[in-house]
Amino acid sequence: MTVQIPRTWDAIVIGGGHNGLVCAAYLARAGRKVLVLERRPLVGGAAVTEEVFPGFRFTVFSYVVSLLRPEIIRDLDLPAHGLNVVPLESTFNPLPDGDYLATWADPEETRRELYRHSPRDADAYVEFGRLMQRMAMAVKPILGISPPDPGSWRPKDLLAMGRLGKHFRDLGEKELHALVKLMTMSSADYLSEWFESEALKAAKSASGIIGTFLGPRSPGTAYVLLHHYMGEIDGVFRAWGFARGGTGAVSESIASAARSFGAEVRTDAAVERVLVEGDRAVGVVLGDGKELRAKTVVSGLDPRRTFLELVEPASLPEELVSAVERFRFRGSSGKVNLALSELPNFTALPGMGPHLKGAIAIAPSVDYLERAYDDAKRGEFSRRPFLDMVIPSMLDPTMAPPGKHVMSIFVQYAPYHRNGGWDDASREAFGDAVVDTLAEYAPNIRSAILHRQVITPADIEAVTGLSEGNIFGGELALSQLFFLRPSPAWSDHRTPLRGYYQCGSGTHPGGGIMGASGRLAANAVIADGTA
Amino acid sequence: MSVPRLDAIVIGSGLEELVAAARLAGAGRRVVVLEPRDSVGGAAAGEQILPGFRMDPVYADAGFLDPRALGDLELDRHGVSLLTPDPFLAAPADRGDSLVLWRDLARSRASIARRSAGDADHWPGFAARMETFARVLEELAGRPPVRPGGPLLDLAPFLGLGRRIRGLGRERMTELFRVLPLPAHDLLEDEFRDPLLKGVLAAMSVRGVFQGPRSPGTALAFLHHHVGSPGGVFGIRTVVRGGVARLADALATAARARGVEIRLGASVERIACTNGRAAGVALASGEEIVSRVVVSGADPRRTLLDLAGTEALDPDFVHAVRQIRFRGGFARIHLALSEAPRFEGISEAVPGVIAIASDLEHVERAYDDAKHGRASELPVLEARIPSLADASLAPEGRHVMSVDVRFVPVGDRGQGDYAPDALADRVVELLAERAPTLPGTILERKVLMPADMEERYGWTNGDPYQGELALDQLLFMRPVPGWAGYRTPIPGLYLCGTGTHPAGAITGASGRHAANAVLEDLGGAR
Repeated sequence: MTVQIPRTWDAIVIGGGHNGLVCAAYLARAGRKVLVLERRPLVGGAAVTEEVFPGFRFTVFSYVVSLLRPEIIRDLDLPAHGLNVVPLESTFNPLPDGDYLATWADPEETRRELYRHSPRDADAYVEFGRLMQRMAMAVKPILGISPPDPGSWRPKDLLAMGRLGKHFRDLGEKELHALVKLMTMSSADYLSEWFESEALKAAKSASGIIGTFLGPRSPGTAYVLLHHYMGEIDGVFRAWGFARGGTGAVSESIASAARSFGAEVRTDAAVERVLVEGDRAVGVVLGDGKELRAKTVVSGLDPRRTFLELVEPASLPEELVSAVERFRFRGSSGKVNLALSELPNFTALPGMGPHLKGAIAIAPSVDYLERAYDDAKRGEFSRRPFLDMVIPSMLDPTMAPPGKHVMSIFVQYAPYHRNGGWDDASREAFGDAVVDTLAEYAPNIRSAILHRQVITPADIEAVTGLSEGNIFGGELALSQLFFLRPSPAWSDHRTPLRGYYQCGSGTHPGGGIMGASGRLAANAVIADGTA
Repeated sequence: MSVPRLDAIVIGSGLEELVAAARLAGAGRRVVVLEPRDSVGGAAAGEQILPGFRMDPVYADAGFLDPRALGDLELDRHGVSLLTPDPFLAAPADRGDSLVLWRDLARSRASIARRSAGDADHWPGFAARMETFARVLEELAGRPPVRPGGPLLDLAPFLGLGRRIRGLGRERMTELFRVLPLPAHDLLEDEFRDPLLKGVLAAMSVRGVFQGPRSPGTALAFLHHHVGSPGGVFGIRTVVRGGVARLADALATAARARGVEIRLGASVERIACTNGRAAGVALASGEEIVSRVVVSGADPRRTLLDLAGTEALDPDFVHAVRQIRFRGGFARIHLALSEAPRFEGISEAVPGVIAIASDLEHVERAYDDAKHGRASELPVLEARIPSLADASLAPEGRHVMSVDVRFVPVGDRGQGDYAPDALADRVVELLAERAPTLPGTILERKVLMPADMEERYGWTNGDPYQGELALDQLLFMRPVPGWAGYRTPIPGLYLCGTGTHPAGAITGASGRHAANAVLEDLGGAR
């Protein structure tokens, strides 16, 4: 029998989601002794790949990659740890009138396709792409810094604010105005300034509503549109990509990198609470009552869990507690994963073709999306939802048995606060609405379905722990961004408790498989020298 | 070429135009105001529903009378006196209950407490916080908009404002930043439990926007309407004794006293340009008037695209002007009444707003209908009976009532859902649910649909704000980014209406800022 020697860690990271893993990897890389504790049997949080049905592997929650910061990929040498992203070359949106709107890898081909819908839009599209790229460049530096506290007189904060001011002024007046518009407008209004074709406006505005509890006509959605453009800028990926092995493979590559720097990643290890002595976090208590001590504890969970559940809220400033209590989650999306005996056959573009290798969306008009939102506002899932789909088995044959396919369908809206709550019956009814919608465009889908997994926001919460099933760890709304994410003065990944840090998507910049929050938190820990 | 006799032509005789004209004349400039209609005041001109029953066609109150703009015009000498309606807000509720808000905080609290003790506790703090925020907006309204991308020196006056905002203290300051882009829905849900209180406050938050309370930015619209509320009481707007028309008349008198010539029935058809410079106007009558500058109170789109014409303008600028969102969505129904209506559950006379907005969902659904292009099934109403506080508005014992209807889609006039009579019938029916005697007391009614307002006042889509009060159409973005300083790309042509900063319900500021810009360019006072 070996005697367990009590160990203390430099840092314990709670939650093995991608941000927790990124944080752990950076800390380990800086020579810290790091332990990651993941409640589930596998790492990844909302970025996991699981064999849900025998032979069929699904990226259960998140499904595409584009935002992962290139500096993280470089610093952690993720390709060496198995990261391999295949670009999604095309987008394909079937329309109710039997036509479709597509974009292709070849810009000339895209131009011809758009020209078919509107010659004016075909020209505007190129200009629009350039502007969005410039806007993304303008915002990019913000993703890499911790927000200053605008209420502080500390030289550090004043300097950071001055730098920000200068950064934005240096953009020039025209770009600044364009940025203000993007930050404040609805995606529908913003796109109407550019395009006339309804199909194109709808296709584009769909990315402005992903993960939000807002419709395309709600101000603030143009920013989410931009958020989804940020992945396009570094030339690492083109637009959206699919990771071979699913998004779980992304998580595993980060975990592998973390381990290579010496971090320990433990699964099936649920953290009950953070151990606090005085005003200091000194470790964690596991579900089985075991205590693990560390100089630093980093929470990769969302702000609600980080501040209201893992620690005693009474020990925190009231200002922070009430900010977190007000922080909006309101998960709005669900997921349907299909195991298919054959590929969907779209009436608008029949047969097998390159369009099945890209992103496929049911978003035929702005009004369609807005109506889908109306249902959610009233506490129901959309009867005719917005669907954002990929067929991973087209890009990575290992995802399904030979000749068979898996289809990943992101669905909006499915409100967490559904009238009457979610149960098995409403989950299946929601699944039916999704299949019915898809069947209108690809009638063979019904008979092709071998298995179906339906995931509601309540399921997302239950499995991943994300409060109210919000995929961004808190709404990406204007009032919850930058220094307001999650709370003023505590948006720099620190907390009022010494030695306690936060690194989840509910911190700046948040949202998507980006990893920036994890990296910024690690920087804060290292800068403080607490671990 | 002869030297123009006139320094400035002001197009329109609305409140902002008259303020601009008076200020220019006060600086020794020769000014003529051209008003297409046969009375002064533009949309502020008063009318009668029936002989002796007076109405303000579209204005409900005087807005915030910016003292910096109006202080030296001695309006009180010209007959303007202000009233503060009290109670200022009431809402009938089910089962004969009601919500009534008073100038006296304790009375408001008592009324709220009958419905929710917690809300009553929250109310004073909420009101104080909102008032603080509205004061910051007031500060912003009092200055011409700054260009954040402009020369550093231009930013200097705003250091004071920055200090002031930081002076709120960290908690309040960051709260302000959080609240500005917030949906009113979230702001109210955070604070209150009573559905009715949230409903009537939400109804305020959608004035001037074509958005439901769940849309980000409606909290800002909410605050905007409280700029200038009398100190210590949140939510009150002062009204002018005799109606807003009195204010227009007084401004006209003040302007004339300073030498401004006001020509009625003078409809401007075109702004004439010489060598790329605005040099006068051509009237519908064919007459041409020459002046050194032209100041237009017409909305930015009409001014720049219809009156000035696009030939001389940069296509990007024209595009930006075309993109200004004028959504209107507001109709006004005027009633002449043989007696004051009694609303169930409200024992006192309410000279302020009587809101029909039972909860947040009601307001949101009314918007949803309109956003899909149909009239709201259950419209949101804000009714006023100004004759309760001001007997001069109706014959003795009789009353006038005006009802604001939100979210009336801008459609073809007289068609289906948009028919004014259908709308008025529906509105009266809804009011009668709370005031059963009302229908039998109606002597006459007049309906102003968005299309009517467009026709009468030249407002694009009948938008009285001359551009939606949306986050992206305020401050340095109003009316179009880069041209928020009342000047236009056509030298000598200026804008002064509510389509420019600081937008609607704040009276005189835009006219004053515009006049200052003109004077700066003309070389100051003479």
